Amino acid sequence: MSMQRRARILALLASDGGSQLGTKRLCQVAASATRLTGAGIMLVSDGGPRGSLCTTDDVSSLIEQLQYTLGEGPCIDAYREDRAVVEPDLAAPEVYRWPAFSAPAVESGVRAVFGFPIRVGAVRLGALNLYRDRPGPLTAGQHADSLVTAMIVAEAILALQADAELGQIAQTLEVDSDFHYVVHQASGMVAVQLAISVEEALIRLRAYAFSSERTLADVARAVVERLLRFDRSSGPGRSS
Amino acid sequence: MATREARLARTFVEVADTLVADFDVVDLHTLVADRCVEIFAVDAAGVMVVAPGGDLRVTASSNEAARALELLELQSREGPCFDCCQNGRPMINLDLATLQGRWPRFAPTAIDHGFSTAHALPMRLRDEVIGALNLFQTAGRLEQQDVDGAQALADIATIAILHHRATIQTQLLNEQLDQALTSRIVIEQAKGMLAGLGSLTMDEAFNRLRAYARRTNRRLSDVARDLTDGTLTNADVDLPSPLERH
Repeated sequence: MSMQRRARILALLASDGGSQLGTKRLCQVAASATRLTGAGIMLVSDGGPRGSLCTTDDVSSLIEQLQYTLGEGPCIDAYREDRAVVEPDLAAPEVYRWPAFSAPAVESGVRAVFGFPIRVGAVRLGALNLYRDRPGPLTAGQHADSLVTAMIVAEAILALQADAELGQIAQTLEVDSDFHYVVHQASGMVAVQLAISVEEALIRLRAYAFSSERTLADVARAVVERLLRFDRSSGPGRSS
Repeated sequence: MATREARLARTFVEVADTLVADFDVVDLHTLVADRCVEIFAVDAAGVMVVAPGGDLRVTASSNEAARALELLELQSREGPCFDCCQNGRPMINLDLATLQGRWPRFAPTAIDHGFSTAHALPMRLRDEVIGALNLFQTAGRLEQQDVDGAQALADIATIAILHHRATIQTQLLNEQLDQALTSRIVIEQAKGMLAGLGSLTMDEAFNRLRAYARRTNRRLSDVARDLTDGTLTNADVDLPSPLERH
């Protein structure tokens, strides 16, 4: 059964008229193979989310942005708990798991959300983020397809990275990615402005984004564009 | 007393259970060697593998005699397991007394250890020989059904090696990706630090970081890390780069 699923999903991946396998295609196939609205591939490490390799649409991007900003959500749980995390009705869940994530996600049209660990054996790379614009559980077939897709995604990521030069991220992985470089630039800026470590600076930026209901990327961009400055004298996050 | 087939089947289950994500090749090969002695009419067993560089290595032995003989094979470059690793063919029911001419060091030593018969079964993946399972008997010959069963265990030892190789490769790639991402992040943080107090753009900050790395003949990511952990200060690094002066 699982081999048939695998063969069918690989056939979907290959059916793209000969264009090179890339992360964008992986995401699109993840959504179509599971018959869901959209998909995203999030890389996660033990320190937290690293960034997104690709997303199929704006809503998927927002799901990843929210999780990166807030440090909670289905992909982060799927990675940490190393298991599938399903929320068939995000607007009216049986258990409220993600108090900060849920409201803005529902508002942007996410009604059901699913996270599947992306792993090869004991090596964990991140989580596959799948969503649907209406509530409802996954069928057993969709669930199995999601697991197999996540496995194929993991193998594909490593196969693509195998072509990279040592010390570099493979270009094919980077092309549609969002590793939040602007957030790390902003962390560096805030660190020297407040004379704190870059790690603390990132926490300050996250707190500011959360309290002002903006994404971390938005706040970071404002810092880098010098529209927002953190200063010891004027307190955190005063606009200049 | 369980039948031979039942014990063989139980061994397969045992091995499948061991072949999880984080297993040890030596442990699994030791299990294969031990079970050979328990299930088949052999008195000692050992596993030898071809290391990536082409050298042979002993991974498991059911007892000290088998271990000594396998090491002797490596040392003297002769013996059933050594030959099997070269030609990839099964070598069954080798009468050691008649093979002293072929293996002048191995055969007499094996006889001294009390063995009369030796066998070697290849561990093969298509055309590649990746090792051999060595079996020793103090008397008698091996029946074909024992040979078949032992070959099945040798195949399992092969799968363990392939599985292990794939796992190592996976871990390596994941670590490379993770490290590449981490150095990239640290460089972005360092750019931000250089740009944070003054009026440098991110590109200018990057140029100064790179110029400092070149002046001091160090890697960009190392300089960036020193800046973010306080080993270096902005004042150390933040000099207009030659690029900007042009």
